[in-house]
Parts: sequence; structure tokens; C-alpha cells
Amino acid sequence: MGTFFTLWRRELAAYFLSPIAYVVTIFFLLIMGFNFFLLVDLMSRERVTIPGVMEQLFASAPFFWPTFMIVVPLLTMRMFAEEYRSGTIETLMTAPVTDRVVVLAKYAGALTLFVCMWAATIPYPFILEAFSEEAAPLDIGPVLGGYIGTFLLGMFWLSVGMFCSAFTRNQVVAAVACFSLIGISFTFGQVHYIATDDLLKAVSAYVSPLLHQRDFVRGVVDSRPVVLYVSGTFFMLSMTLRMLEARRW
Amino acid sequence: MIEVKNLTKRYPGRVAVDDISFSVGQGEIVGFLGPNGAGKTTTMRILTGYLPATGGDVRIAGFDVTEQSLAVRRSVGYLPESCPLYPDMRVREYLHYRARLKGLRGKEKQNRVREVTELCGLGEVRRRIIGHLSKGYRQRVGIADALVHRPALLILDEPTIGLDPNQIREIRVMIKELARRHTILLSTHILPEVEVTCERVLILSEGKIVASDTPENLAEIVSGSIRVVAEIKGLRSDIVAACEALPRVNSVSDQAQGAWVRVEVEGQLGTDLRLNLFEAVLEHGWKLRELRTVSTSLEDVFGALTAGGRDPGK
Repeated sequence: MGTFFTLWRRELAAYFLSPIAYVVTIFFLLIMGFNFFLLVDLMSRERVTIPGVMEQLFASAPFFWPTFMIVVPLLTMRMFAEEYRSGTIETLMTAPVTDRVVVLAKYAGALTLFVCMWAATIPYPFILEAFSEEAAPLDIGPVLGGYIGTFLLGMFWLSVGMFCSAFTRNQVVAAVACFSLIGISFTFGQVHYIATDDLLKAVSAYVSPLLHQRDFVRGVVDSRPVVLYVSGTFFMLSMTLRMLEARRW
Repeated sequence: MIEVKNLTKRYPGRVAVDDISFSVGQGEIVGFLGPNGAGKTTTMRILTGYLPATGGDVRIAGFDVTEQSLAVRRSVGYLPESCPLYPDMRVREYLHYRARLKGLRGKEKQNRVREVTELCGLGEVRRRIIGHLSKGYRQRVGIADALVHRPALLILDEPTIGLDPNQIREIRVMIKELARRHTILLSTHILPEVEVTCERVLILSEGKIVASDTPENLAEIVSGSIRVVAEIKGLRSDIVAACEALPRVNSVSDQAQGAWVRVEVEGQLGTDLRLNLFEAVLEHGWKLRELRTVSTSLEDVFGALTAGGRDPGK
């Protein structure tokens, strides 16, 4: 357990010792701030309910999905690729730590930063409520749902990104591979709008991040997407572990 | 300390390490010598548990490298080839991180980091960023990391590669110092290095161990003889005759150097002709100004053993 925290701390420190954390966080907060501004603008012109507000922030806002899809590869690309490139993977893997702890600690590091970035947006709904003329108190369900959905999806996509970083020594390749994978899966999740085949329609709807997110921001935490993202994360983590072992053969 | 039996490592279409066996005892300082691609790094990576072996049995400090990998890693300090470090960390920060990773905590960690910082001469640079350090200092940081958890065995892969002559000398002195408390296995393709630092040499060629002995013995084995050079003042023909009369002498060559005669006597293995020669000088009342054995250089040994004098620096 002690080594887990040592590695986790090193992983987080690595983000802040390089420009990555600063650049990504600034990029992310600028876009989130812009979305918030658009929302305020919208609310000053028409009536928007609280679920509507959350949907604006967490699903339908302009650039929400592209930002999400760009932030994840930027956070994960260096995780293993950089260790391979600099050779430090050798000192890391010959220290008395198991591969499993290395994978988990690195993953936890990326997830921590991701959570911190989102935590900066927590005041948004409360600010809106405070300045809204409607007396209705803020419904905590959609807010919580929005954050749970975002966390689950981020958790899964970060694990995909880590896997991509584990099979190459080139950070750019890792980032592009991750972006492609999550981009393709997101697009596949939209196929149900146009599909005629029932099975295809059902599968596409089941894995559609957009549909899941729409549920979450209405305060509905359905167990199906939770199972999908949690098991998907476990699968990608174990694939990363296999990849780490396989690269050494 | 190290027990290797029938170790084999195969890559698709290539055998990197071919059925080698050797052992290294407690407190020994052993040099791994071989041309690039001979399997030195692969063998070391297997010993440290970084690479799995295809076959064979490797035990370090009594632990099996595959079954008890963590125990092995705790007893080994490893400096990989090219000395990888995190360039964005500070020296002290890096050593603390590595010490924690290797299970040191609290006061013990503080003490060990301070000790290795001092031992490796890193005191002045301990607040500097690793990426800004010279190659020599980086190498020291790597060695300090390898030492920090008091490993019984140190495995150093090419510890002096890419250093300038002064730095090489400093690192060598350091390794000699370390040899008092640790068993050391170091690899190199620079021959004088082994001659200076190691008690025993393992020569690796194309994945096989082709020789294992002290540098001096290896030289004798390869040349098959011992040569003694002496400079004597006396009658040249008498001197040559006396030398030829010594026991177990193969050949004598001579050369005049002013009033002195320089003789080179080649004897069979296992003899020390210096004493016989000295006695001969006394007996005849000659004068003697030089008497020494000439050792075959390790370079010759290396050339002879690694297939037809292939360029060792390749």
C-alpha cells in the first residue's frame, strides 16, 4: 500500500512538473467557462429548468464532447509511453513493486487530476441558482447525476487512454490511438439514430455515451451504464497489465 | 550470491542467451565482458527480474527470480544501461522517491538517502534538476539509486559508458570502494576497465560464456605461456645461454641496448622464471636493472575468444 501512494504521488507530480497539467487544465476551464457563459446568456432570454441546465453543462453544451475527447488522451498519453522512451520503465519495473500496483497507481494519478479539473466546475450550478430569479431550490439529483455520469465516462476513457499509452513509446501515437478509439466508440453510440437493424440499434444505444449522459443529467442513475463503464474500466486495466507483461517478452 | 543454471533466452528467430551457467560468490566483483549484442544486457535484465527467461534456473541470494521476484528485487541494486532517470525531478527528490519505492520509511530513509548522497559525491548537486546535470553526475545518481536500499548485490550495466576519462576514473574508484560491502556484477565492452576493477571475468560471445577466470589467468590460458623480460649487464652470449638453461623454457630472444642486454624469456605455464633468472644473475655476478613478467593484454584474450578477433569496440 505504501508503494502505491509513492507511485501515485510521483504520477501526480509528473503532471505538474511538465506543462501538461497546466495547459490541459487551462484549456479545459476556458471551454467550461465559455459554456457557462453561453448558459447564462441562454437563461437571460428564456426559461430553463434545472435538468435543462445540467444537460446544457454536461451533455449538449458546445465543445463539451470534443473537449472531453481531447482532454483524456492528453492526460493519458505520457503514462507509459514516456517511461518506455526514457528507459525509466526498467528502473521502475525492477524496483520491488508488482506490475499491478504500477498500473493502478498510474491510473489513480490520472483519475485524480481528472477529478480535480471537474471539481473546479462544481460552483457553476450553485452560482446559477443564486442568481436565478426563480425561487425553486436547486435539485441535487441532476447535479449529482451529471457528475456521476462524467466521472464514470472519464474513468472508462482514461483506462482506454492508459492502455494506448502502454503499447507504444511514442506519446503522439498513444494520444492519437486513444482519441481514435474513444471517437469511434462515441460515433458508434450515435448509430442508433439512423440504424434500421434492431440489434445494431440496441447495441449502439446501449453503448452510447450521449444517451447515458442525458439520463444522468436528469438525475437517473441507471445500473446498465454503470456496469458497462465499471466493467469496461476493469477490462482495459487488465489489458494494460497484459500489455506491460507482453512488451517485456 | 548469483546461481545461474542453463539459462536460455530466445527471441523470435534469435537466441540471445544460449544455455549459460555461472555463479558469483558473496563479495566477489565480477566483470561481464563481450561485444555488443553478446547477451550481456539480456542476461542482466533476467537477473534483475525485468525480463523473463525462456528456460533455465536463476537464483539470487537464494531466491528464484521468477517465483520470488520481489524478494530478488529487494536484494538487487540495478543500474540499467544508459542510466534512465526522470529528468524533471531534483536529485534529492528522486532519491527519496526511489527509497520509498524500495520500502524505506521515515528516519531510515532519511539516513540512507543522506549516506548515498555523500558516498556518491552528490552533496553539491542534491537540489539540482537531474536533466541539467552532466552525464557523470547522472551516472552517480543512478548508482546512488541502486545503492539506496542496501542491496547485497549490485548489477551495473555499462557503468562508465559515455563518460570522459576523469569521470571514468572516478566511477571506477567508487566501484572499488563499493566492492568492500557489496557483491558486484558489472558489464562493459571496454577491456581495461575489467582489468582494473574486476577480480574475475566472464567473457560472453554470441550468447555463450566462452571463458571465466581472473584477468591474469585468462591471459595466460590464451597465450599458453608466461613471458619474462630482463635487462642484464654481462656478456651477451653467456646471458642467452644461461637463460636457455633455465627449467621449462620455451624460447629466448635477446637484444642489445648499449652495454645492457635485453632478454625476453618465454616459459611454460605455471612457472615463475623471475626467481630463476635472478639467481642466475647472482651466480654470474651480472648486474640487473629490470625484471618483470609481461602479461598478455585482455584485448588479445578477447580477440582470441570471441571468434576470430572480431572488433571488440564494434
